[in-house]
Amino acid sequence: MDKECSMYKEHVESGKRKVTLSLTVNGRHVVRDVDPNMTLLHFLRDNLKLIGTKEACGEGECGACTVIMNGKAVTSCIILAVEAEGAQITTVEGLAKDGKLSILQEEFISQDALQCGFCTPGFLMSTRALLDNNPNPTDEEIIEALSGNLCRCTGYIPILKAVKRTIERERKESGF
Amino acid sequence: MISRFTYFKPHNLNEAVQYLEKEENAFVLAGGTDLMILLRRNLINAEHILDIKALPEMDLFNFVDGAGLTIGASVVVNRVVDSEVVSAKYPALHQAAASLASFQLRNRATVVGNICNASPGADLPPALLVYDAVVNITGPQGTRQVPLNEFFTGVKRTVLQRGELVVSVQLPEPGAGDKSVYLRQARLRGHDLATVGIACRLKPDGKVAIGIGAVAPTPKRLFALEDKINERGISKETIEWAAQEIREHIHPITDVRSSAQYRLQIASVLLKRGLLSLIGKEE
Amino acid sequence: MDEKKYQSKYKRVGQPYDRKDAREKVTGQAVYTYDLELPGMLHARCLLSPYARAKIVSIDTSKAKALPGVRVVLTGEDSDILVGLYMQDKRVLSKGETRYQGDVVAAVAADDEETAERAVSLLEVVYEPLEPVHNVDEALEGKILVHDDINDLKHYVGVFFPQKDSNIASWNKSKKGDLDKAFAEADLVVENEFSLPAVAHVPMETHVSIVQADPYSNKLKIWTSAQSPFAIRQIMADSFGISESDVEVHIPYVGGGFGGKAGIHLEPLATLLSKAAGGLPVKVRATREQEFNQLPTRAGMRGRIKTGVTKEGKITAIKADYDWDSGAYADYGVNVGKTAVYSGIGPYKVDNASIDSKTIYTNKVFSTAYRGFGHLETHWSIERQIDILSQKLGIDPYDFRMMNLLEPGAETMSGEEITESSGSPKDCLTAVVKEIGWTGRKTEEERQREWKTGKVRGKGFAMLQKAPAMPANTASSVIMQMNGDGHVKMMIGAVDIGQGAITALAQIAAQELDIPIEHIEISAEIDTRANPYDWNTVASKLTFMGGNAVIKASREMLSKMKAVAAQALRTDPENLLHANGEIFHRHNPNRRMSYKDVALGYMYPNGTGIGGPLISSGSSIADGLTNLHPETGQGYPAAVWTFGAHAVEIEVDVETGVITVLKVASAFDIGQVINEKLVYGQICGGVLQGLGSAILEGYKFNDKLQLMNPSFTDNKIPTMKDVPIEVVPIYIENPQHNGPYGARGVGEHPMISVPSAVGNAVYDALGINFHVLPLSPEAIALGIASGKKSILCTDVDCLPGH
Repeated sequence: MDKECSMYKEHVESGKRKVTLSLTVNGRHVVRDVDPNMTLLHFLRDNLKLIGTKEACGEGECGACTVIMNGKAVTSCIILAVEAEGAQITTVEGLAKDGKLSILQEEFISQDALQCGFCTPGFLMSTRALLDNNPNPTDEEIIEALSGNLCRCTGYIPILKAVKRTIERERKESGF
Repeated sequence: MISRFTYFKPHNLNEAVQYLEKEENAFVLAGGTDLMILLRRNLINAEHILDIKALPEMDLFNFVDGAGLTIGASVVVNRVVDSEVVSAKYPALHQAAASLASFQLRNRATVVGNICNASPGADLPPALLVYDAVVNITGPQGTRQVPLNEFFTGVKRTVLQRGELVVSVQLPEPGAGDKSVYLRQARLRGHDLATVGIACRLKPDGKVAIGIGAVAPTPKRLFALEDKINERGISKETIEWAAQEIREHIHPITDVRSSAQYRLQIASVLLKRGLLSLIGKEE
Repeated sequence: MDEKKYQSKYKRVGQPYDRKDAREKVTGQAVYTYDLELPGMLHARCLLSPYARAKIVSIDTSKAKALPGVRVVLTGEDSDILVGLYMQDKRVLSKGETRYQGDVVAAVAADDEETAERAVSLLEVVYEPLEPVHNVDEALEGKILVHDDINDLKHYVGVFFPQKDSNIASWNKSKKGDLDKAFAEADLVVENEFSLPAVAHVPMETHVSIVQADPYSNKLKIWTSAQSPFAIRQIMADSFGISESDVEVHIPYVGGGFGGKAGIHLEPLATLLSKAAGGLPVKVRATREQEFNQLPTRAGMRGRIKTGVTKEGKITAIKADYDWDSGAYADYGVNVGKTAVYSGIGPYKVDNASIDSKTIYTNKVFSTAYRGFGHLETHWSIERQIDILSQKLGIDPYDFRMMNLLEPGAETMSGEEITESSGSPKDCLTAVVKEIGWTGRKTEEERQREWKTGKVRGKGFAMLQKAPAMPANTASSVIMQMNGDGHVKMMIGAVDIGQGAITALAQIAAQELDIPIEHIEISAEIDTRANPYDWNTVASKLTFMGGNAVIKASREMLSKMKAVAAQALRTDPENLLHANGEIFHRHNPNRRMSYKDVALGYMYPNGTGIGGPLISSGSSIADGLTNLHPETGQGYPAAVWTFGAHAVEIEVDVETGVITVLKVASAFDIGQVINEKLVYGQICGGVLQGLGSAILEGYKFNDKLQLMNPSFTDNKIPTMKDVPIEVVPIYIENPQHNGPYGARGVGEHPMISVPSAVGNAVYDALGINFHVLPLSPEAIALGIASGKKSILCTDVDCLPGH
């Protein structure tokens, strides 16, 4: 009896806390009710079923959960979903367009910049955010932007190669 | 995270102060890079979260000739890193900001958040301290200014009272020819908390200021050491002397990150390297 | 680095194909166990012991049970199931006594993770802390027993040797020649002690398992992030008293293993929770802290090496004593200890040697398989000792090694004769030493001059060897089926954990069948209902054993195809050749047909069908291996040796102790490169993981044996900023006669001996011998400041167990 009463009470309280969240994810507008204590990471994964973004530490230390929020690379595990009200979010699912992989994804494949793949979405988004803000970064700027992403498999060298080849190809494409 | 809380993001500073004063177990959310860890580890029980990022006063980030630099509470660290004015006028702050955590975290972490978290090893306070930073606080009793030097009261403790919010931190304008540097040692080249972090400033009048983190319960200025250096006058010989003398002025502890002995050694080395670079005599 | 592109002599083997599952990984489509949701699935959380050793006085679960959304709360009272790969010494949930800080005391399954977490916080446990066993020395004193039932533990008799009334889970030995005589006659006898701490695997995907226990039968369905589905099946069957066939294991994509997922970890707990929840699927996921604190590590280890040499530099005697601080349970760690006895003197020829390897229980987080399987640890001792010997003899360390390295005709520790086919340690060493431009040791004068600049450079190198540490009857298998479109579906029992298993094996199949690699259909996802047996995905054995199985299956498929095609083409199968997906008559190529014409049987123009769906298989079992003699360690444990060497050049900041790794040259005699990109990936990744062990990583415990660095805050792994300035991979290809296309494995080897090479380089730079890892900035700086020329285990406050 007690468990039923507290279940009901909790449900009502949860309803009071909930906030209506509206934002744009991968170009698509979404509106959901969320409990304020839900992280942006869990919102993307559990509510929107975008499972490409991963949790590997939950504390912002490993970068696996990196998404682009309003043009910047951020670790979604330490952002509350409600903080993303009105935001533009891009996840790994938003990189390919019309069934075609982006240059960045193609170069990750061609340079074998991944092994188990669990850190890969985070690396792709950190790179995308970097190049969107700075299409011609120095090696130092690349490493600074990506060293917040941990990888245990690759030793990073193939990732750096993939990024540099992407920079070349994207520059050619945009006619520089 | 087992905390369950309501979330409030006001656009009015008074509302924010009232909320903070009135509600129990209320916490301030700026970048979240510290708060979210506390929540995740269930080290705090939050019932109310106050998001300050919509308060216009908090977004201030400007340099005014004569007045100096104002960094509002919601200004993120990467904004400071990218600022040409900061690089030019407060190089130690630029370097400290650039060394903080990782790129993604710097897109969220705030300067004021780093101060308010008051970690003994925080990176920004030493650089802010050598510039005599002042903290602008607002609360139920109105506004007050507290020199950063008096702001920290202990490990993760500040002078902030219930209902008080830091609105901004302000750095006076340094004179022409002012120089500074921030050096730190960590366990690897990648992002890490500082084993020791030290900011050195050489003012146009030839006087030094030294701020240091991770060797005491709070980040601090080494006033007594500065006085001794300033008495002797800055020079290569004074610097060599100071590198040994600093060991009498700090009492670091041994913890999971480092032994006290290594911290003493590093403090000595970084002080020497920092001061030498300021007089243009790097080894 | 694209300067010297590797050229293969084969059409498909050796070509740098893209990974077959790369697209799924770059689009977010790859589904890992972490991502899986099953209908009705519950989420579990564990309560870990805060004490290293404590009596559990009482557990009050009432508040947790009363929480809405909680379905199951389990404690040690609820089950007496014991688990253990080699020694059944581990309960699924602690009962009576906890054995390490991190031991599971209780578990909750609830509707969602947050509720489970909340319920765990409502559990009220009363502990009575007890004095723990801190380190190997205390353990060997034996005043307190970690397992007071050690005499009764079920284990593989004759393979592991638990010592009565002790904390020694196993004492394995090997011995040959006459050590006493050899030491007595040696010109120089040198004894040293070395040590290194436990480190974490840090797979990016933490351990996670989902189990659905059928309420109407014994059947278990398991989805888990693991390396060895068939081992899980066998161990679960053993522990739960059911048949192997009752256990169905699914392995989705795996986010890294490194040996930490080689055995069985969260599956038994998930099983108990599912059973208690009436058969609902239960997901148990480790948080990152639990990954560090609860899940097992690489063991800390102390090595004592005594070596006898002649003054000309010939090694005449080695006595090695390895004490593995294996923590609270034997798990896979006890096999690491056992393996050391045939491999633990390094790739050197010695007539008189003994190895005593003790896997020791302490009250810390337990150890398991880890990339290198004990070889990084033993080579830390061995290769540092070799360097110290060369210092004392005044012989160049390259020349000293070349004098003593294994070569055809020499015997390994276990009595196996090395042949031309074994691979060449000398080729590896020569290659790397040349690559870093070794011209001899730094003189003290050179050192002093550099020291004044504050930065000193040094070069060092180290050898390595490893064979797969696997049972003598290890087997791999593969099943192939041709689809109607001529593509070949391939099912293997090994798991692609990122090493590229499916790609490498697909390449071998594509080479044999002569069809494009795109026409080999192989999935990274394993299902024991369909995929055939493979022992474990460990040991760097898959290319060798799985590759051979693929060759067999491919050839069987070709022969079956040709049998049907021969009928259709009205000729003898002997007259048929195959190329580019077609079968044709050797003298009249116009008489031809494509594979797909026989894929599902051949149909004559009038409609009659012959043959049938093409299915073939290949089984590969280790050939001629034996167990080791329990006293002498003699036998044939090694299916295939891979030898290698690393040379490094470093720069040390003498004031801060920071080491900058300027260059790493790594050579491995892998016989035949199957895919250069994949090998390069293993080298880059392994070298950096090795550098992590060399200069950064290590568990730290307080005096209560509580883990002080259970998160990324203080348990660091290398980042992109920590990569060496240059990494030069060198592929030596002396073929392995019985390897697929002459290939040997290389998955673990790049990590082994990296710390040894760095330690040797540090000596060259500073003139100081360090005996303890990691060579952190603090260790180096304080070592220099001490003024000592040798920084011993006793000088450093971080022995295993400290």
